Amino acid sequence: MIVYTLFVVSLIVFAITQILPADAAVMMLGENATPEALDALRQTMGLDAPIWQQYATWLWHVVQGDLGTSLRTGQPVGPAMFEALGRSLLLALLSIGLMLVLAIPLGIIAAIRRGKIADMVVSLISYAGVALPEFVTATIAVLVFADWMKWLPPTGYVPLTEDFFGGIAHLVLPVCVISIILIAHVSRMVRSELVDVLHTDYIRAARLKGLSRGHVLRRHALRNALLPTITIVALDVGYLLGGVIVVEEIFAIPGIGRQLIVAIQARDLPAIQAGVLIMAATYSIVNFIADILYAWLDKRIQYD
Amino acid sequence: MSNTENRPVLSPVLAIENYSLDYETANGPFHALKNIDLAINRGEILGLVGESGSGKTSLAWSIMRYLPKNAREPGGKILLGGDNLLEKSEREMQTFRGRRISMVFQDPSTSLNPTLSLGTQLAEVLVRHRGLTRQQAWKEGEERLAHVGLRTPAQMMHRMPHEASGGEKQRVVIASAFACNPECIIFDEPTTALDVITSRQILDLFVELQAETGVASLYISHDLALVARTAGRVAVIKRGDIVEQGTVREIFTNPQQEYTRELIAAVPDPAHRLVKDDVVDTDKPLVKVENVSVHFGRKSFLAALTGRKTDRVTGNNAISLSVNPGEILGIVGESGSGKSTLAKAMTGLNRFEGKIWFDGREIRNLGDMDNAYRKDVQIIFQHPDASLNPRQKIFEILSRPLKLFGDGSDLEKQVGDMLEQVRLPRTHASRYPHQLSGGEKQRVAIARAFASKPKLVICDEITSALDVSVQASVVQLLLELQKASGTAYLFITHDLNLIRQIAHRIAVMYRGDLIEVVKADEIDSPDRADYTRRLIEAVPRAAAQYQ
Repeated sequence: MIVYTLFVVSLIVFAITQILPADAAVMMLGENATPEALDALRQTMGLDAPIWQQYATWLWHVVQGDLGTSLRTGQPVGPAMFEALGRSLLLALLSIGLMLVLAIPLGIIAAIRRGKIADMVVSLISYAGVALPEFVTATIAVLVFADWMKWLPPTGYVPLTEDFFGGIAHLVLPVCVISIILIAHVSRMVRSELVDVLHTDYIRAARLKGLSRGHVLRRHALRNALLPTITIVALDVGYLLGGVIVVEEIFAIPGIGRQLIVAIQARDLPAIQAGVLIMAATYSIVNFIADILYAWLDKRIQYD
Repeated sequence: MSNTENRPVLSPVLAIENYSLDYETANGPFHALKNIDLAINRGEILGLVGESGSGKTSLAWSIMRYLPKNAREPGGKILLGGDNLLEKSEREMQTFRGRRISMVFQDPSTSLNPTLSLGTQLAEVLVRHRGLTRQQAWKEGEERLAHVGLRTPAQMMHRMPHEASGGEKQRVVIASAFACNPECIIFDEPTTALDVITSRQILDLFVELQAETGVASLYISHDLALVARTAGRVAVIKRGDIVEQGTVREIFTNPQQEYTRELIAAVPDPAHRLVKDDVVDTDKPLVKVENVSVHFGRKSFLAALTGRKTDRVTGNNAISLSVNPGEILGIVGESGSGKSTLAKAMTGLNRFEGKIWFDGREIRNLGDMDNAYRKDVQIIFQHPDASLNPRQKIFEILSRPLKLFGDGSDLEKQVGDMLEQVRLPRTHASRYPHQLSGGEKQRVAIARAFASKPKLVICDEITSALDVSVQASVVQLLLELQKASGTAYLFITHDLNLIRQIAHRIAVMYRGDLIEVVKADEIDSPDRADYTRRLIEAVPRAAAQYQ
């Protein structure tokens, strides 16, 4: 299924880059190149071949692990993109980690204290989180914590291998900004699922067997309430990939989002193709893992 | 020696004394239970019978001390072995529930957690109350499952709820209710969600275990016939009041209250036929169903690409039957036997293979079902709540078929007439469905079906969501309409006693196959098919044995 999805994505990506008003030959030789020189270059690059043939060649190279050469730098696209992907994944994983640590307890508290103050506070926070786009929260965060308080560096990226604590300090703000929306989203989801589950017959039956509230919550309710949350988290990875682009741009982190923006601005076709393909692959792999996890936890579902 | 002095040996296990329960609502308190007095001795089964909304389930929650937050208890006592449960803290109740008093629920498919194995859910009671380790509890659980008649207990422990049948699941629920040898067990309609034969087996199991353990049982049901088979004494509850209490024999032979008499009269009794057997077998039936099969299952996109064969589920397997003009043909069978599937095929809601002959016309597929066919063939569904649009007034609901099939003139008068025809006041036209009771809504659905003056009306379990007394009046109405209009009915139900009263012929279905079609008064003859005999044997006919 993944292979199939990626094949379709590769088609779409290739088609879109064909429509883009960019001519690779012009990009490389500049606006003032002679038509003869352009033609010669097109021929050597295979750009005069029919589109399906170009696609087949490109796909063949991709399958072999060669994502092409950047028109901008003349370097192979693959290694640069994967290095950038590594930084983005670090950012994304930390954000998801922070989200899981905070969103699930918040959702549980809101559900079991339904209608009480705690529930309303959680609801208010999550409404605010959903309502504010990340460039607003990012700006406010930088303004408050970097500019006024001077607790944290405003932008930039330091590899953790070079300076662990410096690297972490650079990551705190972006991770927080990304996870705010995720926390808002997931905690609301956990809350509503858990409220539904707590009203089911089997929860009542478990309580009437003499099991305590806490035991019923842990053993009977949470598993059923968190199952749909897995799907939501996996779908949120889609948002995460989009959010990462904005946040990386604001905090000047050289991740895959930033690479992609640079590639688009420079009309660097191989880089765009590689970047989008890598992002799509990440998304489908994450969702595939989520499906497997779901089936493993909920034995009623079987995949063939 | 204070209040426990000389307690007689037969002091009741569960005693409810002058107990009342109110629910606080926006419109002031609602009195759910009024001065209830009940007692159940060891070894006794007390049946609690009442219609929906009579407060019988509220009483169960009161006993289990599992009440919603808006519940108020103005007074009374609930004594379990001498302990007043109203004075117990939640923590104390947690040690009582499942150990001293337990409960079996209506629907095993919703009362078991879908993500935990059956064994886990049984063993946790043993771990909680008997202090066993998980391994000990698991072993004991296997023994318990064997005891409730499950053939492969070790395997069953590992199964998930969706891997077991309804009957098997209910056995597991019963095993956990009996697991700690409680003093008292509440059975809340434990067989209503099961089909006829399974519920008979569960009932037998209950009676057997009850006799063996001597547990005091409160058996809650709306079905008087069912209660009469199991219980020694019966209490009749009406709007929160116990109106009558006595032994089963007393209640049936000499009911004191008008309400009890109505309840007994409303229980369908197959010996008392409500139709005349005056329909002659013609060679020109109104409907002839010829080799109609229905299959479910959709090819997934990937399977279509790879040409893989998908498993199709057979809903109906080459069914052939006919309905004569003015005849009531009953269709009975367990859930999943394909009764409704056939009804849906005949009304064009399912694709089918085969042929349907209607009034001499050949219907091969959905395309052949034109307006004329739909005018002549109408269907009434089980749940009026789901089949009446909640956002439309009754007038709109009833004027739709008039505009579609009739002349559409003077709708006010026509809708009014239709309402009167189903014994509803004309003023109901301006109401919304939610302002009517369940029985009234089903009458509206009946009026809608009759609006086009059909020749065949398919009734798909139309009384099974209704109380017994309401069911009796709806059936009465259907028979009157039938007498007046000569419409034929295809009456689908799982209530054998009811269908034996009103049908001319009965078709028995089992797992998509038609077993046989027999005359209604001959269905209990000994030369019927095996399955038919099993069905007949499984159905309680308590009302008759006292009359």
